[in-house]
Amino acid sequence: MNVIECKELSKVYGNTNAIEDLSFTIEENKITGLIGRNGAGKTTLLKILAGYLHKSTGEVNVLTEDPFNSLKVSSNMIFIDDQMTLPESLTLLEILHSAKMFYKNWDMDLALRLFRYFSFHDNQLHGSLSKGMRSTFNAIVGLSARCKLTILDEPTTGMDSSVRKDFYRALLKEYIDHPRTIIISSHLLNEIEDLLEDVLLIKEGNLLLHKSVDELKEMAIGLKGKSNVIKEIIQGKEVFYRNTVGKDTTYVAVENSFPNELLQRAKENGIEISSVPTDDLCVYLTNRTKGGIDDVFNRN
Amino acid sequence: MIIKLTDSKPIYIQIAEWLETEILSENFKTDEKIYSQYQLAEMLNINPATAAKGLNVLVDEKILYKKRGLGMFVSIDAKEIILTKRKNETLKNMVNELVLEAERLHVREDELFQMIKTTIKQREEDV
Repeated sequence: MNVIECKELSKVYGNTNAIEDLSFTIEENKITGLIGRNGAGKTTLLKILAGYLHKSTGEVNVLTEDPFNSLKVSSNMIFIDDQMTLPESLTLLEILHSAKMFYKNWDMDLALRLFRYFSFHDNQLHGSLSKGMRSTFNAIVGLSARCKLTILDEPTTGMDSSVRKDFYRALLKEYIDHPRTIIISSHLLNEIEDLLEDVLLIKEGNLLLHKSVDELKEMAIGLKGKSNVIKEIIQGKEVFYRNTVGKDTTYVAVENSFPNELLQRAKENGIEISSVPTDDLCVYLTNRTKGGIDDVFNRN
Repeated sequence: MIIKLTDSKPIYIQIAEWLETEILSENFKTDEKIYSQYQLAEMLNINPATAAKGLNVLVDEKILYKKRGLGMFVSIDAKEIILTKRKNETLKNMVNELVLEAERLHVREDELFQMIKTTIKQREEDV
């Protein structure tokens, strides 16, 4: 079953297109990473899926309904980010108890165990929490709600690295015990790629790719060696990134579609072959120019 | 960690190779049940779908067999299949690399043989 279906979905703010003609589907019980640079349209997309924002044009279906003003979507979906407004008059413990009323699968035992593990106090107020603690609390709410569709928009903002690791592990364990559809947005793919099944990469509001993590990992190959040899090998191939160091050493990240014999011969000619880490590849794909920041300083 | 994200190999291949090593070192014997995709996911902190992909590689190579509803088990020929595969692929590639590097360093054939022999001897003495 498809939990999410988008067809030529667009959102316009004034005269800028936040997202443009996005078409994709997300199947039930998969963990998908939504990856993109700052301002790529991640949050806009997630808020449309959550029913918080109206689309401009196109089609969007969440749990087979248009999410905007849908009761079905709001009772089966939870949207977590660092700007959640929770009542100031309630203590953290009271918030957990009231969340139980809104979500039918709410697991109070899990919520309390996580609450204690991360050293929250019953009488603390949401507004007085530090950035990292607030994100952690929101994440506890997101996991304990056990919603069919769980949307996490940059859930680890402000968390220190040990809390981030704990959170990702908690997320995975919860998912194994109670599978659900999860979308996590992040610009740090390397941190979450082992948790993900699929990656959705967007750039300036457009869909760049929607693939499994494994496919992404095998999509590109890194070649390093003498510039003229490299140039010959990569003829007619799509180059994602190119960098020349020293007099004539070139590194390229290029589409991985070479026959094995060719790579073997390249190796014999002194070309070093490596894999391209997925987060590097995503940076290359979302760069506006082939040389990155260096192009700014390259006035020739 | 057994699984390295920085490794050039996709995670599912790393899982398959790790399970092969476990079978070779007899941590899993013939007809013994191997980890489920969920056990692997929890143990290695990875997505269960990736773990399943790793297991399926071994099923395709007939190193594991499936029993419907019960899980995956080590086949009788598992060790032999793994050994043959590693000899034909892994070892051959390593020898290729070795010969290439020797060429680059202008190491002569007899010199290279001598180095290999010395290493073998040293290992024998250590044991």
